[in-house]
Amino acid sequence: MKTVEYVITDPVGLHARPAGLFVKKAAEYQSGITVKNMENGKSVDAKRIMAVMSLGVKQGNKIELSIEGTDEDTAATELEAFLKENL
Amino acid sequence: MGFLSGVFKKKELEIGSPATGTCVSIKEVPDPTFSEEILGKGVAVKPSEGKFFAPAAGTVNTLFPTKHAVGITTQEGAEILIHVGLDTVNLKGEHFTAHVKEGDSVEKGALLLEADLAAIEQAGYNTITPVLICNTGDFADVAPDIAGEVAPGACVLRIKLK
Repeated sequence: MKTVEYVITDPVGLHARPAGLFVKKAAEYQSGITVKNMENGKSVDAKRIMAVMSLGVKQGNKIELSIEGTDEDTAATELEAFLKENL
Repeated sequence: MGFLSGVFKKKELEIGSPATGTCVSIKEVPDPTFSEEILGKGVAVKPSEGKFFAPAAGTVNTLFPTKHAVGITTQEGAEILIHVGLDTVNLKGEHFTAHVKEGDSVEKGALLLEADLAAIEQAGYNTITPVLICNTGDFADVAPDIAGEVAPGACVLRIKLK
C-alpha cells in the first residue's frame, strides 16, 4: 500500500470542480483508493464524487490518500503530481 | 432479454425540479465542470424563485458550509447534487439560508435552502442551478426530461435502475 499526504492550497478546498477532476483521475486506476481528511478523520472512496465532497476538505486541510492495488506505484506518483498541480 | 424487459418493467426513479423556473440542458451551463458532465449527468434549472426543495426523498449527506450546494442520497442510492448558481462557493454563505443539516432525512419537496437570487445576481453570479446525479455510472441510464417551465417537484430527470 502507498500513501500520499497533501495539504490543499486551493481556496475553495475540495469542492465541485476540483473534486470532480480529482475523482475522474482517481478512477483511472485499478487500485482501491481512499482519501482521508486528516482534520476530522473522515475517510471515503476516492472514486465517488459525492463522498469526496462530503469530506468537507478546506484550504489548509491535510488529506491522505491510501492506494492499494497492482498499479499503486503509478497511481501514487501521478495523483501526487495531480494534487500539486490542481489543488 | 428483449421479451423479459417487457415483462419485468425496469424500475425508474423520477428526480424533480428543486425550484420554480426554467429547465434547460446541462450543456447550456456556462461552466465546463457541469456542461462536460464531470460531476455526472443532469439538467439545469434557471430559478425564478429562491426556494430550493428536495428533488426526491432521501438523506442529506452533503451540505457545504457555504450553503450553496446540497447533496441528497435516495433510498435507491442515487447521489443527487443541487448546486445553486455558478462559482457561488465564493460567496462564503452570504445570501444563502440552509433549512436542513447533514444527516437529515427529507421527503420530496422539503425546503432545503433559500437563496436571495437578486442579491446573488447583483454580486455578479449566475444563478443557474445544475441538478446532477454524481454516481451516474451506478445506473443503467440517467435521462434528462427537459420540460421548459417547471414547478418544484416536476420531473426533470429519469433514472433507470440497473
